[in-house]
Amino acid sequence: MRIIVDEARCEGYGFCAEAAPHLLELDDEGELTVLAEQVPEDERANAEAAVRVCPVAALKLAP
Amino acid sequence: MTSLAEGPALDLDLFSDAALTDPFPLYKQIRDTAPAVYLPRYGAWAMGRYADVRGALGDWESFSSARGIGLNDLANAATQGMIIATDPPEHDKLRNVLAARLSPKAIRDLRADIERRADELVAPLVERGSFDAVTDLARAFPISIVLDLIGLPQDGRDKVLGWADAAFSASGPPGPRTDAAFPLLQDQLAYLSGIEPDQLTPGSMGRAIYDAAADGLIKPESCVPLMSAYVTAGLDTTINAISNSVWYFAQHPDQWDMVRQDPSLIPAAFNEVLRIEAPVQFFCRVATRDVELDGQTLAEGSRVMMLYASANHDERKWEDPERFDVRRNPVDHLTFGYGMHGCAGQGLARLEGHSILGALARRVARFEVGAPQRRLNQLIRGLDALPTTVHAG
Repeated sequence: MRIIVDEARCEGYGFCAEAAPHLLELDDEGELTVLAEQVPEDERANAEAAVRVCPVAALKLAP
Repeated sequence: MTSLAEGPALDLDLFSDAALTDPFPLYKQIRDTAPAVYLPRYGAWAMGRYADVRGALGDWESFSSARGIGLNDLANAATQGMIIATDPPEHDKLRNVLAARLSPKAIRDLRADIERRADELVAPLVERGSFDAVTDLARAFPISIVLDLIGLPQDGRDKVLGWADAAFSASGPPGPRTDAAFPLLQDQLAYLSGIEPDQLTPGSMGRAIYDAAADGLIKPESCVPLMSAYVTAGLDTTINAISNSVWYFAQHPDQWDMVRQDPSLIPAAFNEVLRIEAPVQFFCRVATRDVELDGQTLAEGSRVMMLYASANHDERKWEDPERFDVRRNPVDHLTFGYGMHGCAGQGLARLEGHSILGALARRVARFEVGAPQRRLNQLIRGLDALPTTVHAG
């Protein structure tokens, strides 16, 4: 499972990084960085939470 | 071809005084009937369950905004070209202009100033002891912040709030309330059309709109509609969220104690106020194709009310949804909408809400409120007056 960020839609709310701090991070500039594109099995629930809390639907998961 | 009105129907009036005062029993009836319910009075469908509303908001290709988000043709025509009533690619150009100034990154530098303004507003009110949480607190705060950020000249500012209120109400169904509101929406647009770019504060969000047109990023005719988006969306919404906060914490002193003991709960507490009392009750979408909803077919061309406020109370999604619980942290509530049209100003709204709650939490031990007076608006739910006494501590 991979995390895909639609960079044109991402506005940097950072809720995803709070939900999945091992996978996503807001850097000091307020830009979202994907720390781990491939989601490990034990991070699956956090990845799904990160997608769920994005207010602008900028994140999705792909097989 | 499928009839537009085929499917479960309810003869509900969502816009009577009684319904606007307490719409939640009607929302429950809609949720419990079907994923989408036809409301013959409005020639529109209502969607009230969380999963369906969120799904539709996330699917702009099936649920378009470009045919208007309101329930009457006049308002839908008048709002044509406004960001709220566009689809990509037009939408994205307009959104970029707003996001460049409103995204969390763009407003980071505003935090200290907004927190200072919150303290300067709250401290003397707490000193006074008694005040109106709507007029003295909730309205005073966003008005000064938002109109300064847009860079509006002082002249005319006193009318802006009434226009914003009407701009929402004008999108209700045909009838006397809409007839009363529509001319005020036109007044707002006339006022904004009369402002020259150089009357807007240099560096302001308003000036940035005209700069974007000068740079060819948006069409010149998009400037006034974007100004209208700022002026309309940034006031009543945040105002109601702030007065609702006082109202709910007056009724739930135990929850206020929790927030005071652990101020890191403030964002969660503000989310819970937003979930339980969504200022914007609904906007519409129009189905661009036949859409399958949990065994039901919604025909192409159907106008569908997205009942955000109902979705936020959906028992299918929330445990004990009528319970106000600051520990719930419902980050995925639909009060700001969701997806492409998700509120562009939600970062600023949160900053304002968190700053006011923080300033109150540092000073107020208890709120006592008198009877709230409701302001009836066809799209916005909120209060007109809330007599409040605070006990410092």
